[in-house]
Amino acid sequence: MASGVDSTVGGLNGVMARAPWRAGSIFLLAILGLSLLGIGIQAASDPTLFAQITLNGLTLAGLYFIVASGFTLIFGLMRVVNMAHGSFYMLGGIIAYLVQERMLNPDPTSFALPEATVTSFVVPLVVSMLSIALLGVVIQQVFLRWNQGQELRQALITIAISIIIADQAVAHFGGIAKEISVPVRKSIELPIVGMFGTMRLVMLLVAILVGVGLLLIISRTRFGMIVRAGVDDRHMVSALGVNIQRVFAAAFFLGALLAGLAGVLGGAVNSVNKSDDGKFLLISLVIVIVGGMGSLTGAAVGAVLLGLIDSYSDVYLPDAVTNYGVLLTFFLLVFVLAVRPYGLFGRAA
Amino acid sequence: MNVRDKRWGWLSAGLLIIIIGIVAAACGGSDSSSSSAADTAAADTAAADTAAAAGEKKIVMGFLSNCEGPFGPFWDATLAGYYTALVQFAGATPVDPADPKAGVTGAMVPGTDVAIELNTNYGCSDDKADKALSEAKRLVEQEGVNILIGPLSGDEGIAVANYAKTQPDVTFLNGISGAQDTTLKVQAPNFFRFFSDGAQWTAGLGAYAYNVLGWRNAVTIGDDYSFPYTQTAGFVSEFCSLGGKIDERIWPALGETDYSSYIAKLPDNVDGFFLDVGGTGTVQFVNQFTEVNGNDSLQGKVMGGAFISNPAIIKELGAKVEGVVAGSALPSDATDANWTAYSDAIKAAYPEMVGNAANIFLAGYYNNAQAAILGLQAVGGNIDDAAAFQAALAGVEIATGVGPVTVDANRNAVGPNYVVEVNAMGTKTLFTVEGVDQSFGGAFSADTPNPDRDNPECVAGNPPPWAASITK
Repeated sequence: MASGVDSTVGGLNGVMARAPWRAGSIFLLAILGLSLLGIGIQAASDPTLFAQITLNGLTLAGLYFIVASGFTLIFGLMRVVNMAHGSFYMLGGIIAYLVQERMLNPDPTSFALPEATVTSFVVPLVVSMLSIALLGVVIQQVFLRWNQGQELRQALITIAISIIIADQAVAHFGGIAKEISVPVRKSIELPIVGMFGTMRLVMLLVAILVGVGLLLIISRTRFGMIVRAGVDDRHMVSALGVNIQRVFAAAFFLGALLAGLAGVLGGAVNSVNKSDDGKFLLISLVIVIVGGMGSLTGAAVGAVLLGLIDSYSDVYLPDAVTNYGVLLTFFLLVFVLAVRPYGLFGRAA
Repeated sequence: MNVRDKRWGWLSAGLLIIIIGIVAAACGGSDSSSSSAADTAAADTAAADTAAAAGEKKIVMGFLSNCEGPFGPFWDATLAGYYTALVQFAGATPVDPADPKAGVTGAMVPGTDVAIELNTNYGCSDDKADKALSEAKRLVEQEGVNILIGPLSGDEGIAVANYAKTQPDVTFLNGISGAQDTTLKVQAPNFFRFFSDGAQWTAGLGAYAYNVLGWRNAVTIGDDYSFPYTQTAGFVSEFCSLGGKIDERIWPALGETDYSSYIAKLPDNVDGFFLDVGGTGTVQFVNQFTEVNGNDSLQGKVMGGAFISNPAIIKELGAKVEGVVAGSALPSDATDANWTAYSDAIKAAYPEMVGNAANIFLAGYYNNAQAAILGLQAVGGNIDDAAAFQAALAGVEIATGVGPVTVDANRNAVGPNYVVEVNAMGTKTLFTVEGVDQSFGGAFSADTPNPDRDNPECVAGNPPPWAASITK
């Protein structure tokens, strides 16, 4: 696609503009090659550790994918940069925790935390997902609908909403991280890997189901067909008599629902943490830009890349610089933008 | 507009989004404007007329803590500590005993008719040094504060202490920030810390690990900033002085949420870990550690610093941390006269806060506000000569929950430290190390390297004086 663009522009400018990209790409590819070589050497020296952190990275990628798939759905279809997406994630965890706390009714004098049953995990999960989905629709209808097409204004509105949610969360929920209790055994023994967190595997499984489910919805249903058409040309879809507003509301419902789901899973695996909103918003942005706007496959690939980078850099970077692992995420971003400006699976708008 | 322009448009839009995202992430999504101004309180701001009548400089006391960020939840506790000291020692009355934010009225310098004007446009920081610094500047340069109590956290303390050097007429008393450099290295003559530093809070831990638990090698894990550096420095220095070895020091970034790969990397062939991952990170680390290693995997294998012995963290982690040994500046299970007097003072001022007596955030502000009041008493409420007031302050002995506390030549507290074991009630004190000073038995001085990722080095010999008495 990118070369097609260049050939239409053609001429000297095109050639001159492309040359530095090539040099940059070669440089970045060399860095990528060296890091892969480094990981390979380290992996050979301790395969168990390698297997553990690879699985850590993949399970983390599962969580990232669930958050980012909702984000990319909204972004791709409506061109709304929903800066409150991270807040949806955080609120999802908080709501589930509060509902579960009511259900388990822990004895304040007891030291042991109560174990959740299947019901006391699933009910908070569903309540939380639906509440977040409804919140998403309300925000879309009340604040964003009348600003359709004004991308900057919509981004600013959602930033404002995310700030309000964050401050309210710290005021009413406090800043100490809390864990959502789960009804499964904490860890199981896996071949090669050894002991591994059960909920992390569940999270990966859910992510795969979400991915397959979304793919089926997008490729097999009428809603999916409209979404696909809408990603390419909203105005034409509207002109063909489709009630695009209903589709937008549905997309927001689904996107927020997924953020809520991820919030609950993240709260069970890591913890419900007040500062997760900014972190997961940033992760969603990076994944969507790396993978390509509106592309589900792109979100999956972006999530896996990010999860693995996160995991490998914690372990394989020298101790003095592990702190800077997050920078690698941005190297990835620069690399992808340099090679494929629309993202790995993106297309020109 | 041609297609190429469009491409550049999307590219720059993407970059713009990333920048906005980074800003949002850096601010934790909550960089609202300082709520300090909004925190208007009905406290006494007009009571300074009597002082003015005497022709002396008005005494204006300011407060700087964290109302946002990782330590934002402790805002009320720090205010409660500050105002409890004013109620107990300066005769003030709480406006609302259920809400420390409402402030107090009628604070006077004891034994005089000089009023203490309390500035209620509180300094609100978020754990970041630049924010603490700008709030300190606002209070000093715009609000006219001449005694400032604060800040709360490590890097903030270093920044404010450096700023203190430029304001010799203003007297600064630390809140609860615990980095070693703040007093040992910066040495601002007008910055006081009537509470020990983070390294002092680990006195006794290294000897307990080596002599009692029989550890010979250990790995440390802590957030990558000055306070965990200081705490780790205390543990490393004492453990190594006895002959222990540190195999590795691991520093995850502050704000990390997924520690699973760090945990996978922890070596098996090590006797134990010193854990100083803070705030929300403690909960996540312990949950992920026990997920892989089992619910009782911390006992005997992990020792902790100030975070793991914090009552709020213990409540969240439950039985997983039961039996874990940690260093603590406060004994939550104490019943002696000092502790009773201290907790009764909290109960009298703010009944609902008494559960926070063992919370260092409350105690740190209590100690320092009390020192300021007693210093004012020593100069009869006359602070025209700031140097004389500061000299008097350096000689003050305050009454705290752990007994009398004084400061050393660097204006840093000398006091006891507690090695505690987490149990169902909170913590149980195993033993007390009396009279720990900032030099940590001679290990640290103004000439030793700043505690950081690699310092202090692990060197055998010259154990601190208390180490020999800590045995099985």
